[in-house]
Amino acid sequence: GDMLQKPRSRGRPNSQAERERDWGRGAAEEAPSTSRGAGSSQEARSASSQGSRRAEASPEVGPRSQQQLELKVAELVQFLLIKDQKKIPIKRTDILKHVIGDYKDIFPDLLKLAAERLEYVFGYKLVELEPKSNTYILINTLEPVEEDAEVRGDQGTPTTGLLMIVLGLIFMKGNTIKETEVWDFLRRLGVYPTKKHLVFGDPKKLITEEFVRQRYLEYRRIPHTDPVDYELQWGPRTNLETSKMKVLKFVAKVHNQDPKDWPAQYCEALADEEARARPETSGPAPSS
Amino acid sequence: MEEGRAERRRRTEAPSHTQGGPRRAGVMTDVHRRFLQLLMTHGVLEEWDVRRLQKHCYRVHDRTAAVEELEDFINNINSVLESLYIEIKKGATEDDGRPVYALVNLATTSVSKMASDFAENELDLFRKALELIIDSETGFASSTNILNLVDQLKGKKMRKKEAEQVLQKFVQNKWLIEKEGEFTLHSRAILEMEQYIRETYPDAVKICNICHSLLIQGQSCETCGIRMHLPCVAKYFQSNSEPRCPHCNDYWPHEIPEVFDPEKEREAATSRATKRSLRSRQH
Repeated sequence: GDMLQKPRSRGRPNSQAERERDWGRGAAEEAPSTSRGAGSSQEARSASSQGSRRAEASPEVGPRSQQQLELKVAELVQFLLIKDQKKIPIKRTDILKHVIGDYKDIFPDLLKLAAERLEYVFGYKLVELEPKSNTYILINTLEPVEEDAEVRGDQGTPTTGLLMIVLGLIFMKGNTIKETEVWDFLRRLGVYPTKKHLVFGDPKKLITEEFVRQRYLEYRRIPHTDPVDYELQWGPRTNLETSKMKVLKFVAKVHNQDPKDWPAQYCEALADEEARARPETSGPAPSS
Repeated sequence: MEEGRAERRRRTEAPSHTQGGPRRAGVMTDVHRRFLQLLMTHGVLEEWDVRRLQKHCYRVHDRTAAVEELEDFINNINSVLESLYIEIKKGATEDDGRPVYALVNLATTSVSKMASDFAENELDLFRKALELIIDSETGFASSTNILNLVDQLKGKKMRKKEAEQVLQKFVQNKWLIEKEGEFTLHSRAILEMEQYIRETYPDAVKICNICHSLLIQGQSCETCGIRMHLPCVAKYFQSNSEPRCPHCNDYWPHEIPEVFDPEKEREAATSRATKRSLRSRQH
């Protein structure tokens, strides 16, 4: 759909390998060469034996081997995949602490390579949640399809339905809504803030905590309200993962109507589409 | 819409290059990517469901193409995954030999799926259970014996009641199987951890005489002690009226199980799926 940007020709095995060879050479110039050599004599892909691929990227003073670098990128890819499954944005500090370690000097390159592999192999795009936030999420470049639910191993997110409803409410109400209004609406669907729900569990916790932590929603106290009321808006992840038009289409579908039946929202969604189609100035690529 | 998808696919395909030398990595398309994404939502998946998943991905992205033979399809993906030190590994359930697949980590890194889902004391509980299972004769460790080790766990103190729940969590997440109060390793754990287990417990570990893979449950020769997986026994002694130990030639004293039949499995699964869809329609 519209989430896909024009992919640059990354992920081609030989160009990646060339870059890694350059590292080996570069590092060797600075530090005393070890018996491993500069790594430039190695093949683009080390002819791997089918036997044990066991390796540990131990930090070394001096040039790092091809295999160590490859392994570091592999670790990073796995780390990002695992962390993203929980839908909590991944902090740069966590990446540095748990994966990068002594390879800190080449962190931007490692992250870039990992991002390329993630996109080419898995179809996930690594994006920064907000510019300069130093937190990342994975966006799916593949459109989810209804039948995915039948072949998944997890429940996907049954909570997605509830999230979509709340996102729809927020957008239709002019991009911000009071919490009390949300519950007024949800009550009609049998969803209460104080009552345990068969599918959603604790709806209040889900909406005001979980979705907020996952950055789908923003939840802010409205000052000078008595009793205290809060306002809900779209969070940064929502803008990255979906769009006003998609949400409007969802709302229209639910009402069995056409998105154009809401002219104000339709105009707004169109403008949003146009803004997205414009080439990005500084893309959401990881900032160094 | 169709054109856009096909176009996108072409753009994101890496051009196949023949540099000579090291073997050429395969090419990923959206079919493969969706397959991987959805496969990852399962810890382990039976072959019949893997085929279903494969067909689904073709249906979404490339209706016109012929569905590639599963083995080739997976080998293609694995050649791409190689540089990431992961692979789609094929194994079989130890009790009835059903082929299963899991996405496993080939390198021992600090990052692991299990480590991210469980706390330090929970992981240590698993390790204790694992050791009991490996040391056991039957491949099973009793709940009681595992729970008795609760005081020795690293990390936050865990009570037996809590440990019981953690064990259930392991079962739900397909790390362990429970049978009548005893626990053994799920095929997922065997696929993922075989390397780790063989390296960490080289003396205690049991190996199958036929396939030379890690053995947790199986049959053993009472004379010379060699062991075989049940499905390996089934295949080796298939239509042999006088089964004898491949090592010492003594009479094989155990009942020979049936070889796993995918046809029968498909019939059973279709009836299961029909029941499942009927159930979901009722909601």
